[in-house]
Amino acid sequence: MSTPIGVIGGGGFGVGLARAIARTGRNATLWSRRDGEVGERIEPTRELAALARCELIFVSVPSMHVAKVAEQLGQHLDGRHLLVHVSRGLVGEELRTVSRVLRELTPARRVGCLAGPISAKSIAEGVPGGGIVGTGFPEVADAVREAIAGPTLRLYQTEDVVGVEVSAALVGLLALAIGYAQEMGINPAALAILATRGMVETARIGVSLGAEDRTFAGVAGYGDLIAAIAGDGRPELELGRALGRGLTLQQAGEQAGAYIEGVTIARRVQRHAMRRGIEVPIIEALADALDGKLTPTGVIERLMSRRSKRE
Amino acid sequence: MAKSPVRTVKHLLTRPIRLPRLTPYVPAPDDPTIFWFNSERDDIIREVTRRCVERHVHEQRPLEYVLNEVAHEEVKRLESQRDDEARDSLGFWRQTMRRVGRMSESEKKETLRLICERMSWDIAGNFDPRVYQFATRAVPPLLTGVMKPSALPEDLMTMASGTHVVDEMLRTEGNIEHLKHLAKRGTLVFVPTHSSNLDSIALGYALMREGLPPVVYGAGKNLFTNPIISFFMHNLGAYRVDRRIRAALYKDVLKTYSCVMIERGYHSLFFPGGTRSRSGMLERKLKLGLAGTAIEAFSRNRVRGIARPVFFVPTTINYGLVLEAETLVEDWLKEAGKARYIIEDDEFSQLDRWLAFFRRVAQMESACVIRFGRPLDPFGNRVDDDGGSLTPDGRVIDPGTYVQFRGVPTIEPRRDAEYTREMGQVLVGEYERDTVLMSTQIVAHALFRRLVRATPGVDLFGRLRHRGEVTVRRDDLAREVGQMRERLRDLASRGEVHLSELADRGDATTLIDRVFSAWNGYHRRTIVIEHDGQITAEDPTMLLYYQNRLVPYAERVAGEGDLAAAREIARLG
Repeated sequence: MSTPIGVIGGGGFGVGLARAIARTGRNATLWSRRDGEVGERIEPTRELAALARCELIFVSVPSMHVAKVAEQLGQHLDGRHLLVHVSRGLVGEELRTVSRVLRELTPARRVGCLAGPISAKSIAEGVPGGGIVGTGFPEVADAVREAIAGPTLRLYQTEDVVGVEVSAALVGLLALAIGYAQEMGINPAALAILATRGMVETARIGVSLGAEDRTFAGVAGYGDLIAAIAGDGRPELELGRALGRGLTLQQAGEQAGAYIEGVTIARRVQRHAMRRGIEVPIIEALADALDGKLTPTGVIERLMSRRSKRE
Repeated sequence: MAKSPVRTVKHLLTRPIRLPRLTPYVPAPDDPTIFWFNSERDDIIREVTRRCVERHVHEQRPLEYVLNEVAHEEVKRLESQRDDEARDSLGFWRQTMRRVGRMSESEKKETLRLICERMSWDIAGNFDPRVYQFATRAVPPLLTGVMKPSALPEDLMTMASGTHVVDEMLRTEGNIEHLKHLAKRGTLVFVPTHSSNLDSIALGYALMREGLPPVVYGAGKNLFTNPIISFFMHNLGAYRVDRRIRAALYKDVLKTYSCVMIERGYHSLFFPGGTRSRSGMLERKLKLGLAGTAIEAFSRNRVRGIARPVFFVPTTINYGLVLEAETLVEDWLKEAGKARYIIEDDEFSQLDRWLAFFRRVAQMESACVIRFGRPLDPFGNRVDDDGGSLTPDGRVIDPGTYVQFRGVPTIEPRRDAEYTREMGQVLVGEYERDTVLMSTQIVAHALFRRLVRATPGVDLFGRLRHRGEVTVRRDDLAREVGQMRERLRDLASRGEVHLSELADRGDATTLIDRVFSAWNGYHRRTIVIEHDGQITAEDPTMLLYYQNRLVPYAERVAGEGDLAAAREIARLG
């Protein structure tokens, strides 16, 4: 195939995607601010204009930088381009999804999100794994499959884009909570309660933003969470553990070694839930703990002392 | 038994009335496309029929299944209808049902063709330029006569030149010159909010008055039962949509018809909400249905190398009083919206309600405000003066790129369905910004918010039972309405909403007086009672209906003490 596939973002996931593309025998154009050895079939660039000749472009930048990149990238795009992002975050107080930001700030409309139990490591090394593409456009899902799927990577598709994006963002937050609880010596039964009730809250938030309930029970929701708990090396889990050891957010962030979106999102989600009248006790306790308003034991006490009710 | 003369007349009046073809109208070169409709109609029906048959022949589903379904649905419908239509065609459908199992493939195909052709004929409208020209001159004084008989003599004097009562009642806003220019360059697709059966009449009249081209639109078959309305509907380009027909094939024919019309450049009108807003709220979830065919039409033209653009025109139709308010809100509360999709016995069909309504609104300036929003291409991009699609950074791009894959334009129904869904979301935002808030809605919101504040945590139905329990001093209400208006002016200056001219003018007390007099003069239900400077919210349901228009702005117009109540109101949406 002649047209290369674009990747924006030189972080672990961006480079992983470029390598996966090269492995399927296609050429990748990788936009990155960093220098470094990238590999065969990967053309590095510092010009966003160089991506205009690609049809499919992966956007792999943290959600807080998406708006800025989208604004600049948008100047080189038109209706032909297909954009797929892998950001695990929601933007601003209104919890805008990243695909919505891309639609608003670029002329591209055929947009999607790649998420689920897919990790930078698995994708770069080609170990067996899978993920999910959230998009309403069949050609976007097809293009992603052609670009990176192979004998070791299974890609599912759903039209519930918002469901995939909310899952991706909030599973990160749950992973943080679970890392934290594990460090506190939580037993398996309590961990299961934390995970399942956390997912219920995630689904409630998702539905309030237009997602479908069932997405959270699938690859995008539980699939992703199980991979995180099983230890796919997710930075959020590490951050949770570091916080559980009593480190400050700053120290924990440095130790986990990556930008962690879960931290900024907890309070925004909690405020959204309050405005909409949605109950999210776990997320609220997490937000309080991250703000230093609640100690680790305080979190456990508050959650365990809630009255039991129908599921 | 012989038919009574009354019944015969009524029967005749429900048939299409057509003017005799004494002097066939020859369209002039700069007449709108629709002036050619009658000469193109046969060709359009042939094309619709051909496409529908072709699609079903190539589909996975066996033809037998398609025919069985449509025959079964039609027999069921006609058996319960028991009218002239049943008498005419029940036999055909029963026979089809019996024979379909024994038909050869070519017989099945021929039967399908026949059915599609019949359906297209039933849908296809008419356009009589003579009626259009007559309507342009005669409708304003006629309506004036109905609404304000005293103004009629002077109106007849100024016929077709001066302003009429109608023109004072109906106000239009937006960049009309831009729309006129775009109408020459491409196909306009008006997509307004929908709260009353008067919408299509009001919008049709507004287009005529502003010199915008006439549009074709699907009107529910039930509207064709009123002989006068039927006459105008038939001759002004409306096509018929029979919502009683459940067969999937009918929807397919309808969509194909609409698509072919837009492909050929007929300006069109769709209500993307599908049905009148029962709650009085702005539509939040738009499925677009038929309006989606505009996107398909654009793709199909592109594939054939035709570059005629399509422009969506989001439009809000805003009323100070809604003719059918009482029936609509009751229907919403019963949550019977689905079961009673077609309401045939509402105020729209009652002549005395019409008269009461028009007499009332004739006293009101700008009783209806139609606001044309900024036109969009089929992919939600704004367009420049000449209709070029604009990117967020202001470049002009080719909208055809959106229907390309690997550099070639393609027809892809799933892709276009997704574009349609996204257009629905874009329209929701446009409606919110283009809504013109009326005094009745603002006062109702202030009163309803009081009720919510007085009943914290109570559910909606519980609240609605609090009839006549919330009382407020007139001065307090005036202060609250005044503050609310200040906040609305603020939002308006930021382009987040619009205020009707009347709501923006005068002091809050005068505004409240006008609102109460409008309600009391039209609605049969007493909405508020005033006694000794105290105002009592007598009918929470009607207040709810009118205030529902403010649901998206509730939090933005609330003061510190009202925020909790405003949030509860916001959650209604």
